[in-house]
Amino acid sequence: MGAIRFDNVGRVYGGKQGSVEALKGVHLDIADKEFMAVVGPSGCGKTTCLRFVAGFDQPTSGTVSVDDVRVTSPGPDRAVVFQQFALMPWKTVRGNIELGLRNNGVARAERDDRIGRILALMNLTSYADAFPHQLSGGMQQRVSIARAYVLDPDVLLMDEPFGALDAQTRVVMQEELVRLARRNPRTVMFITHAVEEAVYLADRVAVMTRQPGRIKEILDIRSVREAERWDEHEKIEDVMDLESFVHLRTQIWRSLRQEKAMEIA
Amino acid sequence: MSRKTVIGSATIFVVIALWFLLTSVTQVISPGRFPSPSDTWLAFVQITGSGYANGVLTEHILRSVMLVTLGFLVAVCTGVPLGLLMGWSRRAEALINPVFLIIRPIPPLAWIPLAILWLGLGDMAKIMVIWFAAFVPSVINAYAGMRSLDRTLIEAAQMLGTPMLTFVREILLPGASPMIFTGLRLSLQASWTTLVAAELVGAMTGLGRVLNAAQQDLYPGMILVGMIAVTLCGWLMTVALGMAERRALAWNTAAKALN
Repeated sequence: MGAIRFDNVGRVYGGKQGSVEALKGVHLDIADKEFMAVVGPSGCGKTTCLRFVAGFDQPTSGTVSVDDVRVTSPGPDRAVVFQQFALMPWKTVRGNIELGLRNNGVARAERDDRIGRILALMNLTSYADAFPHQLSGGMQQRVSIARAYVLDPDVLLMDEPFGALDAQTRVVMQEELVRLARRNPRTVMFITHAVEEAVYLADRVAVMTRQPGRIKEILDIRSVREAERWDEHEKIEDVMDLESFVHLRTQIWRSLRQEKAMEIA
Repeated sequence: MSRKTVIGSATIFVVIALWFLLTSVTQVISPGRFPSPSDTWLAFVQITGSGYANGVLTEHILRSVMLVTLGFLVAVCTGVPLGLLMGWSRRAEALINPVFLIIRPIPPLAWIPLAILWLGLGDMAKIMVIWFAAFVPSVINAYAGMRSLDRTLIEAAQMLGTPMLTFVREILLPGASPMIFTGLRLSLQASWTTLVAAELVGAMTGLGRVLNAAQQDLYPGMILVGMIAVTLCGWLMTVALGMAERRALAWNTAAKALN
């Protein structure tokens, strides 16, 4: 289970120079086990939306709920993958992944078992006892994803998780995430700047407007992906070459560009 | 031996040679003002053998080290939690900070008369003065360490469902520990400075008492022995603290070396 619902969500930031309306009337439904990417110009409040689901922040109007229960605080049922990894530098890879399991009372033997499996799945087995600073950015983000996945959460929240990685690492991570998500589907809310990334990964893509942020349109990727059999291509560049992919990407670009044009005018 | 150690030892050798030359050989500096190496040695022999100012050197050292350790520990055990609390909660900060700001500029040594008035010339008064001196750096640095803790690490811990006790032990303390240790080092220095001053005012034994007695006896050799003893003790305790720090912060030094 893990259906996310934004119901008429708004966020106003009060300041000395008056208040700023960052989000207004956001409606969004993310179905259980659906992979939803959210794209939008910077400052449109997409990260804020994710933080509402995580429970780090509260909307000033409307409600955010998971399985019809209103979100009020953070919890391991909604695991977050942060852009800057947010690994504890004083804990080893294993220690970082283990913390969430220990917190939730998973017994030692089962912990070891689950950590072993996730390490293998993420190609991290030989780095179990390394400290985060000994790893590359891509490896650190793998640890962060492993830390989230090992909790077997209903909802996975990813806030520009590949934003801090170089282009090649990014591609590898995207391919790995696709494999992981298809094999072990979760409700995913994935925030990104990169349009290609959104189209490649997601079942649906939500495009947001800027100031006040709201959902402008939602594109269905999944039906196209299944009809055109994207998943039969192993490499991301092969998928990105397909006419159906290019078409969707262009559609989102146009939508975003209108926002950009309005911003400049 | 590295180049640096060779040069370092050479410098020390030259200083000792100069000392010998200026005092014993040429007597440019009169023995009444600054002791010669042999005077100092004789004073050292006296204080380790028959004793001076109510005790032999080891008794004085033990007394001083004990007082410093106690005062330092009391300061750290109260200061660090208070600093962490102020760093964590805006409300606690608003509540405590005004009092702290008033107390902070008072030179620790200015507390000595009050401490003696309250607690007499015994150990308690000295521990209290050391506490006041060592308390401030502990609080300030623990506070800064708490404030410098990466916000997303706290959020990550919350997201993982970390209970309070685990959070304090495994996230908060290690995260703030680089700054906490900086505070401990400053606190330890402050403890030694204050101890000597407090013992100068009134004590039966202790290194400050040795210095005070030697001054009254016009005994430069013994003054120098006392100074050297204080320096060595302070230095050894700082080294011990540094070793504890390196152990506790192995992850941090390695991370810094990499960046």
